[in-house]
Amino acid sequence: MPPKYNIHTTRMPGRFQPVTKSGVIAWEEGCLKCTRCVKKDCVYKVYEKRELDTRQMLDSLDSVCMDCFRCVQNCPNRLIQKGLNPAYKVLGDQYWTPEIISTLWLQAESGRIPVSGAGYGGPFSGPGFDAMWTDMSEIVRPTRDGIHGREYISTTVDLGRKLMALEFAPDGSLMTRTPPLVEIPLPVIFDLLPWSPPGEQITLALLEGAKSLGTFTIIRQSDLDSEIEQYLPNIIVFIDKKPESLGPGLLNRLRMVEIPDGKNTIAIKTMLKEINPELIVIIRLPLSPEVSERALTLTSEGAEVLHFYADEFGLEHADKPLFIKERIKEIHLCLVEKGLRDQVTFLAGGGIAMAEHMAKLIICGTDALTIDIPLLVAMECRVCRRCKEGIDCPVELDKVDPEWGSARIRNLMAGWHNQLLEILGAMGIREVRRLRGEMGRAMFFEDLEKEVFATMGKRG
Amino acid sequence: MNQKDAGLDITIFFCQRFDKDQDTNRRALEKELGSKIKFFPLPCSGRIEPLHLMRALETGADKVYLLACQEGACRYLEGSIRARKRLAYTQGLIEEIGLEGERLELINVTPENHMTIDELARELLAREATVSLSPIKAVISNEY
Repeated sequence: MPPKYNIHTTRMPGRFQPVTKSGVIAWEEGCLKCTRCVKKDCVYKVYEKRELDTRQMLDSLDSVCMDCFRCVQNCPNRLIQKGLNPAYKVLGDQYWTPEIISTLWLQAESGRIPVSGAGYGGPFSGPGFDAMWTDMSEIVRPTRDGIHGREYISTTVDLGRKLMALEFAPDGSLMTRTPPLVEIPLPVIFDLLPWSPPGEQITLALLEGAKSLGTFTIIRQSDLDSEIEQYLPNIIVFIDKKPESLGPGLLNRLRMVEIPDGKNTIAIKTMLKEINPELIVIIRLPLSPEVSERALTLTSEGAEVLHFYADEFGLEHADKPLFIKERIKEIHLCLVEKGLRDQVTFLAGGGIAMAEHMAKLIICGTDALTIDIPLLVAMECRVCRRCKEGIDCPVELDKVDPEWGSARIRNLMAGWHNQLLEILGAMGIREVRRLRGEMGRAMFFEDLEKEVFATMGKRG
Repeated sequence: MNQKDAGLDITIFFCQRFDKDQDTNRRALEKELGSKIKFFPLPCSGRIEPLHLMRALETGADKVYLLACQEGACRYLEGSIRARKRLAYTQGLIEEIGLEGERLELINVTPENHMTIDELARELLAREATVSLSPIKAVISNEY
């Protein structure tokens, strides 16, 4: 058995105080200095260790507070009041909610699974991934405890073209030429960032993070330079110039490249593989209503890996866009029907914001995922998109120390990896490869709704 | 000369109630003026403390505005009153060290104005500059 994949975490505090959900409105005026002072009772010593982060004017009174509201409830004179922090309310947007962002920060700092002791207080169902539930029927089975290790649960996936059968010569020697495969210990690849402040620090942090996790980062050909050449074993080069310009020297050192889908996709793939037969060529396709047909054609023509991407909200490129999980389901089932699905590897990305989204998208049919914005959030990004508008980043992302950034990314991935293990354990699945396309082990709200309510109002 | 042309560094603390789209509305000004203008939304203007105001001056602001609701119109009842008292207290403190008290200014905004935060800020920037560049800046630049 191979050694157990384990991501080492180190506590990595942020450079800036985190923006917290609540903020103190009043706490001092009218204090009677009575003997029963709740400020002294605070278990987090919020009222004793006062600090002010002048870059954000964030008071430790707010940022250290864990919102237990003990002081608010117990002050004999009812002096302490708390309200919703305006800076928290404006984090992210409707998709990248303040709750998602603050959870990612917590994971990036600690490497732990976020645990809420107060139960789930959210709605029963919601849009996107929230309309999907996984079958946790084996949650009480103690042998499949992936994190604590009584039984090994594998999160390894293989990228590349798969063979459906092997041919042997009469003398028993293998006649079939086995295509190259790349194994990654975590079904996650770091994608091109939709936006980020300029500078190489962020790229270096991503590369260092990918290297330490044993996975890959997709880098534009135009962004390659001598400083990042040491990371070539963990780089997938996205060819955004003429493919010939990559040069055999570099192509022979790469394990994977990515090309955009176009008219001559298969010809470009063949040309690249003639230079380096061990190279895996990924084809990048935007999600759209026509993508299933295209995936079918490309797979029939010998595509190895298809990378489907949605926008940053998980929506495809169309007038009435479908959410990524719906479209991936459709493509997967289309290829299953034609008996081609097992020959090709799927990557999918766009709108992957939380660990549960990984498991859910794999259930919908992808083999592995690509993530982007969570990597920036791990480095304290607030998803304000000011950098996109040419405004200075409020958390100075362009100045991150690559070592610090990679440690935060590693922590985040450790949290996600552990959550994936939890889900797999609870579903009674021993490896993530088997989770792919297991739609029978999940429930989809839209389907249930149709099933339950379709007959309502019909006569007879 | 107005405050913008005088090149003053302006810091604006403001109650979040004025403008629910403050984060979006202030961006054009942030892009235009860069680090010359800083915005800090508060859950209530009563949350301001002398420390915030002093730190703003200490980190290079030439003029600090506190935008509060009208007294009596505060959602938390006493926020605007507390803001006024704290600002007056801080003015006293900075005057003791030789800085002009008018580097700190309280503006009571009436909800009927329906002005966004950038409109309010532009109006403030267009005002006559009554203070010059802060002498603290010279100290900061000498230290670092």
